[in-house]
Amino acid sequence: MKELKCSALTCVFIFLATGISLAQVEKNKLILGLGYYNDNNQLQYLKANTKAKIDGKFKPVAGIELRFYISSESPNHLLGTAKTDDKGQAALMIPSNAKDEWNKSPKQTFLAVTDSSSLYVAVTTSIDLTKARIKLDTATDKKIMATLVEQKESIWVPVKGVDMKIAVKRLGGDLNVNETPTFTTDSLGIASADFKQLNLPGDSVGNLILIASVEDNDFYGNLTVERTVPWGTATSYSSPFNNRSLFARAGRPPFWLLWMASGITLSVWMVIFYLFFQIRKLKKLGVQV
Amino acid sequence: MDISARQKIIDDLLPKKFGAKGRIWALALVIICIIGMVAYYRQLSRGLIVTDMRDYASWGIYISNFVFFVAISLVGSLITAVLRLVNVNWSTPLTRIAEIIAVSAITFASLIIIVDMGRPDRFYNLFIHGRLQSPILWDVIVITTYFFISLLLLYLPLLPDFEIMLKAKQGSGKFLGSLYAFLGSFWKNTPQQKKISRRSIRILSITIIPVAFAIHTVTSWLFATTYRPGWDSTNFGAYFISGAFLVGAGAVLVAMYIFRYMYDLEKYITLKHFDRMGKIVVLLAFVYLYFNLNEFLVPAFKMKKTDADHLLGLFTGEFARVFWFAIITSMFLPILILTTRKGRKPVPALIAGALVVVGSWFKRYVIVTPTLLHPFLPMHDVPESYKHYFPSWEEWAIAMGSLAGMLLIITLFARIFPIIPIQETITEIEEHERA
Repeated sequence: MKELKCSALTCVFIFLATGISLAQVEKNKLILGLGYYNDNNQLQYLKANTKAKIDGKFKPVAGIELRFYISSESPNHLLGTAKTDDKGQAALMIPSNAKDEWNKSPKQTFLAVTDSSSLYVAVTTSIDLTKARIKLDTATDKKIMATLVEQKESIWVPVKGVDMKIAVKRLGGDLNVNETPTFTTDSLGIASADFKQLNLPGDSVGNLILIASVEDNDFYGNLTVERTVPWGTATSYSSPFNNRSLFARAGRPPFWLLWMASGITLSVWMVIFYLFFQIRKLKKLGVQV
Repeated sequence: MDISARQKIIDDLLPKKFGAKGRIWALALVIICIIGMVAYYRQLSRGLIVTDMRDYASWGIYISNFVFFVAISLVGSLITAVLRLVNVNWSTPLTRIAEIIAVSAITFASLIIIVDMGRPDRFYNLFIHGRLQSPILWDVIVITTYFFISLLLLYLPLLPDFEIMLKAKQGSGKFLGSLYAFLGSFWKNTPQQKKISRRSIRILSITIIPVAFAIHTVTSWLFATTYRPGWDSTNFGAYFISGAFLVGAGAVLVAMYIFRYMYDLEKYITLKHFDRMGKIVVLLAFVYLYFNLNEFLVPAFKMKKTDADHLLGLFTGEFARVFWFAIITSMFLPILILTTRKGRKPVPALIAGALVVVGSWFKRYVIVTPTLLHPFLPMHDVPESYKHYFPSWEEWAIAMGSLAGMLLIITLFARIFPIIPIQETITEIEEHERA
């Protein structure tokens, strides 16, 4: 009987231990995306985003530690580390010490790596890209020419058939230069567009910022270039910051409110002070008696 | 009036030491206040995260409590000023009760608003950088002003009583004797002093009425100037003031009964007082009911999409129980009880008054919080806890602590000063006898 009890207890223990270990093994799958960005042919950076299925929905995952590599996952090729924010994104500028590795070949591979954690399994993702750049020129009659070139061995050659966006940079986003949303490069790598946004407000001298970009391209990543052109109308911005209004900052209320509110408050407080004075008078009268 | 009758009135109305019940009551209030302070210490050290207030319900029971305190404080102007100015003499025994309720309530209205601030150490910024365009600054100004006017209206009629208390010295220890001497030893009851005092009280009675209206109108504008379902109303000032007079009058009914019972004041707070205060409460309840009909039925008739969620939440949804409880207890039941002559006897009047006060507290909660949980833009991608509000124990403890603090001030005041004006009572009886 005693042996039977021992065996039963052992079975229960093994069952529970197996259950616990199985529960520990079950981890969520992390989806890791990686993108290459080149702004104005100068600033190069990598941006990773993470997602996981949480409560049946794909949601960004914050706080994931990422390591970024160039060429291969080895300590020598480590570019740096970053942690994902609330939007599940992490960015890393490509440091200058990666220059030698970068210059070795016109094609490059970048990797983003996460370690295994209590919630997620380890993930590695990579992108292969060809070095490319955009050149933005303008001609008379407000014609815009954006040229896309890629590096082949040591020379830059035009790229044909790539969709490009040509727009004007505005505060709320980019505004297309005409009714065509995207432009395709020809055999010379040139995407041409006519600027048809008339009377667009520019800065104080009428400058606008043109922008040409290749977005999420499988070979070249995300490339953007800007150029300032004097094609807008000069606009001088006068700030209402110093004006008196109901919505102004402290100390700038409208005069009518200032006088009215102060007048009412002052008159009531004058009554209060008068009554304090009367109490003082009562005291004096009491002392005289 | 002969000397013995005069002495009898003085003996009846002088403040008395607490009995066993009084001591237990005061101790219970002190304990509740201490629990509230402990909870506030937790809130100060850990931040507002200890409350259940989140991004949407950013005003919870602290602000409900604030509105309640401001409302109840208006009774000072009703009983003391309005009735005094229209020469209603029967209210004399109730004036001091009304004024101490006003002073204690407005004191805690100021404190609870600081409690609602996440960083009370930055309170001074309100004065240094306050925007005159903001109703919040108007509220700060008008509350401070109302506090001082109420204090003066409490103090000036007390002056003749100090002379009586100093002469009697009955039941007063060394501390109280010194306090009376400090506050009123200069009062010699000379004709000139009486004249100045009478004129000052009259000026105060006139001044306090617009200030009282301003204090609660401005409090209502804190809501009405914000474009939100349930608050976007031009009716709010009058709606708040009528509700404030009702809750204040209800509180006076309760206080009348308790002081009458605890201090054996049956000769001074008579059945006539309950009868008349009862009628005032009925009138005020009907007025408030009328404003409620306007406030809820008119938008409900239209049921604009933006208002519908909020109104249905009140009528049949998440807040229906508390909404109907507030409406029934603060208006319908008191009207039912107090419209009959029997209902205006002390005990039913006490019950009706208590119903008004409790119902009105929940009514303020119904005004403040459900609106915040029904914004114009739908709530997307927020934690579930943001969509609901139920106060944490810290919030309950602080809110109850503040209510206990208000009652403690009234209790201690009644221990130190006569709760019914002695000199005024004697003068009125003498005038009545002469007439």
